[in-house]
Amino acid sequence: MFKNYIKIAWRNLLKNKVSTIINSIGLSIGISACILILIFVTYESSFDDYHTNASRTYRVVQHNKLPDQTLYWNTTAYPLAEALRNDFPDIDMVTQTAGPMSREFSIQDQERDVSRFEESEVLFADAYYLRTFDTKWLAGNPDTALNDLNSIVLTQTLVEKYFPKDQDNLQSIMGKTILLQGKDPLKITGVVKDPPPNSNQRYSLLIPYEFFKVNNTFFANNWSGNYQGTTFVVLQNKDQRKLLESKITTWKKKYLKPEDDARISYALQPLQEIHNETLYGSSPRGYIIPTHILYTALLVALFILIIAIVNFVNLITAQSVSRSKEVGIRKALGSKRLDIVIQFLIENGMMIIITLISSILIVHVLIHQLNSHLSIINLKLEFGIKDIGIIIAIGTFTILLAAIYPAIVLSAFKPVQALKNKIRIRKTGAFNFRRSLIVFQFIIVQIFVIAAIIVAFQMDYFKNEPKGFSSSAVITTSVPNHSKLDVFKNILLENTSITDVAYGSGPPMAVNGFQLGTSFRLPEQNIQEAKDAEMKVAGTNYLKFYDLKLIAGRNFTTNKEAFDEFIVNETLVKSYNWTPAEAIGKKIEINEGQATIVGVVKDYHNNSFQYEITPCILLNWSFYHNQAFIKINDPNPEALASLEKTWKNTFPNAVYDYHFLDDAIEKEYVVEGMIYKGFTLFSILAISIGCLGLFGLMSFIISRKKKEIGLRKVLGANVAQIISFFSKEFIQIVVLAFVLAVPFVYYMMNLWLEGFTYRITISIWMFLGGGVLTLFIALVTCSFQSIKAAFSNPINALREE
Amino acid sequence: MLLQLNNISKWVQSGGQKIYLLKDINFWVHDGDFISIMGPSGSGKSTLLNVIGMLDDFNEGEYTFLDESVHKLKEKHRANLYKQYIGFVFQSYHLIDELTVRENLEMPLLYKKQSSSERRALVADMLDRFNIVGKKDLFPSQLSGGQQQLVGIARALIANPKLILADEPTGNLNSKQGEEIMEIFKELNNEGVTIIQVTHSEKNAAYGSRVINLLDGSIQ
Repeated sequence: MFKNYIKIAWRNLLKNKVSTIINSIGLSIGISACILILIFVTYESSFDDYHTNASRTYRVVQHNKLPDQTLYWNTTAYPLAEALRNDFPDIDMVTQTAGPMSREFSIQDQERDVSRFEESEVLFADAYYLRTFDTKWLAGNPDTALNDLNSIVLTQTLVEKYFPKDQDNLQSIMGKTILLQGKDPLKITGVVKDPPPNSNQRYSLLIPYEFFKVNNTFFANNWSGNYQGTTFVVLQNKDQRKLLESKITTWKKKYLKPEDDARISYALQPLQEIHNETLYGSSPRGYIIPTHILYTALLVALFILIIAIVNFVNLITAQSVSRSKEVGIRKALGSKRLDIVIQFLIENGMMIIITLISSILIVHVLIHQLNSHLSIINLKLEFGIKDIGIIIAIGTFTILLAAIYPAIVLSAFKPVQALKNKIRIRKTGAFNFRRSLIVFQFIIVQIFVIAAIIVAFQMDYFKNEPKGFSSSAVITTSVPNHSKLDVFKNILLENTSITDVAYGSGPPMAVNGFQLGTSFRLPEQNIQEAKDAEMKVAGTNYLKFYDLKLIAGRNFTTNKEAFDEFIVNETLVKSYNWTPAEAIGKKIEINEGQATIVGVVKDYHNNSFQYEITPCILLNWSFYHNQAFIKINDPNPEALASLEKTWKNTFPNAVYDYHFLDDAIEKEYVVEGMIYKGFTLFSILAISIGCLGLFGLMSFIISRKKKEIGLRKVLGANVAQIISFFSKEFIQIVVLAFVLAVPFVYYMMNLWLEGFTYRITISIWMFLGGGVLTLFIALVTCSFQSIKAAFSNPINALREE
Repeated sequence: MLLQLNNISKWVQSGGQKIYLLKDINFWVHDGDFISIMGPSGSGKSTLLNVIGMLDDFNEGEYTFLDESVHKLKEKHRANLYKQYIGFVFQSYHLIDELTVRENLEMPLLYKKQSSSERRALVADMLDRFNIVGKKDLFPSQLSGGQQQLVGIARALIANPKLILADEPTGNLNSKQGEEIMEIFKELNNEGVTIIQVTHSEKNAAYGSRVINLLDGSIQ
């Protein structure tokens, strides 16, 4: 019996090749997308779950209360860990890290050749760190590796990079010496596996925190500032958290100055929430995927799967009419309804399983594409046996929905009608089942398409809206040696392709999250009244270089060891209710000292477009000129190579690295870019699935209505009339779906846009554009077959039966 | 007595009016009968046959089949009854296109849950008896109409029914093929199988022992 079902199922699938293929393509697109999204979501919500202590590990975060706002920081003062460790013996473990930050390393080989490397993920960690976070050791002793001040623990990747010959014999590199910043010898005491990609603990090597402490006495003992130090605690259990938090509230005044005690409070953030919580921002070198994005992704996955299933159900039930005869015969020959249900379950189940297998292959191929497309967030998704649960879940869900309904519909046929081919799709006005399914599909299609259009406009806004400064063809590089700035500039300007050079602490807009922070107040105000501002050190050429407009006062004339002049932006001037002209000559006090305002610059975007323009102070300080900005005419490889040569000749003992400013700015919109890519991809998927569905349904309807087309032609209808006769219904469906989708998309996209300070206004054209696009694609899909039908010879159609 | 119909009526409602498909039918069949039902198009021949075959229900009257009151039976019982005792032969053969001749023959046995060795034996018998052994692996579309109907009859017979209901079995065949099929029915009847056929042709009706004429749903 079972064999018989399989046999007939297989032959049927082969017989209806076209519809089988359409059906499985549609469904496997849906299933593949769904599997990929689920893998992505599981991955993004699994960050740092693998540590043995994960559930009772917390990051200490800092709330910094200012007069007009509270800032939430994921970094804390360096001495915090030690103080906690000493004063709270009931905490299981407290660990302090500094970084990850950039450092330069050099290695001398036997031939006395020196190779230099710059590493951007250098983490200073104390010995407790290795007990808090699980680490896989390939060589060395975890208990002692970080005990000695001058030790270093490398990751596997770095061993491959530094000692390619010794990869297989790790013991041989133990005890070798690496030079840090060209002066401090560090002895290799261990090799560990790279931290897995789904961890916010990013490092390529570990150096004892003690080393950092000894060499950075000011930072390491300062309770007021906040310089990339992170503190983690491992509690005895989860209940201890609230208690400890409240104890810390009264305890901190022991160390903090009174004005800091008023301003700073601490909280404990569970380790496993770090990756999905936006409040504290991303940890250094890490990134964040907020929970709501994960939920949206799940919703999208569900939608895609559902439209694919709807499609499948739709096509299967449409074909069912051609199977009605078989059902009739089987029933007349003694089959029970259940037998028929089982038969169709097996048949459709078989197809779903084949589709599922092909989806697994698709996912296998696509997952690497996805990783490389999202390389910007260092995504390393893998597809393997661990995802079997996801596949079984999706498979069961699909079979339940996609196979059972058609089986029940088909098995309900009455034998006499079925044999006479009298089964008809019920037509009850506008609301028959199949039509509502297609309308539903197209609602989802419209949502995706319109959302993609709106996101595209916002992305375009990010890219092309004037930022208030010029950024095109600007290269930024670091300059390690302040004494050579003038020489470097003069040599560069001899090159005809380089048009301008300026120095400063950073470009006008904060990139890579890097900004110098300070606070400002009038000299007569006390420190509690100070407000937050961005501090930017700018060379005399800075304003001209970036095309920043002075609206009052003048530019700096020189840079000095001790700064004495400020140029401020309009926003700062407005915070005192001054006019730009009034501001000139006023003195203000910042954390670093006092100076006179000599110029007011027109507001430019000192933060990316998601955020507001904040008060900004430019200083004529010769300190902190650690970036060079180079404007290059035609950034061809030759010009870039010559720039690199000049740089290396000027700064021989350093590692060269450069960025295009525009690229760096674009990275500020990574999440938005991902959302854009996502919506574009999913609207293409949804349209493809939807159109496959339309295509299948159209071929079905046309085969059913062959006779009617023939009759109409015999009675004088022309080709155009017949095509419009078929198109009308589909236009209705798409228009109805559009009308239903618009309010939802409008609401959702408004919500999304509200997250940005600077944003586009939604216009009706974005909706109409999406609607027309979808309609057009749907019409093209349908017309293939209606045109074919319209041109067919009516006699052939009428002769049948 | 194999079966008996007493005052059977069947109608459909159309605009508040009853349109009778069958009206007051009284009809009985003995074991071994060969009955031909005749009448013009729309006179209710096929409907009557479907009622007898329990594929269709009726609105009024009593139907007794082998001493069971069909009108009182539940759907499931009724299905068991016709599964066991009735074989159908259709005008357009109604073979399943995706199955080979052998598999088509086997199908009714599958629904009777017979063992595979039994099935194989019965199918082999039937192939032999109708001389279609050579065609056993062909699909219906590879056969002529006459051959397809042969398979249709073989399939109806394979479960060893007491009664064969044939709805214009020769309607789609040419006269020579039609004659062959009717000869086979004759033979089957001689072997003791009860047959009820619907036909348009006087010639075919002559093969039967009794003719029933229908007009507008009533027996004349």
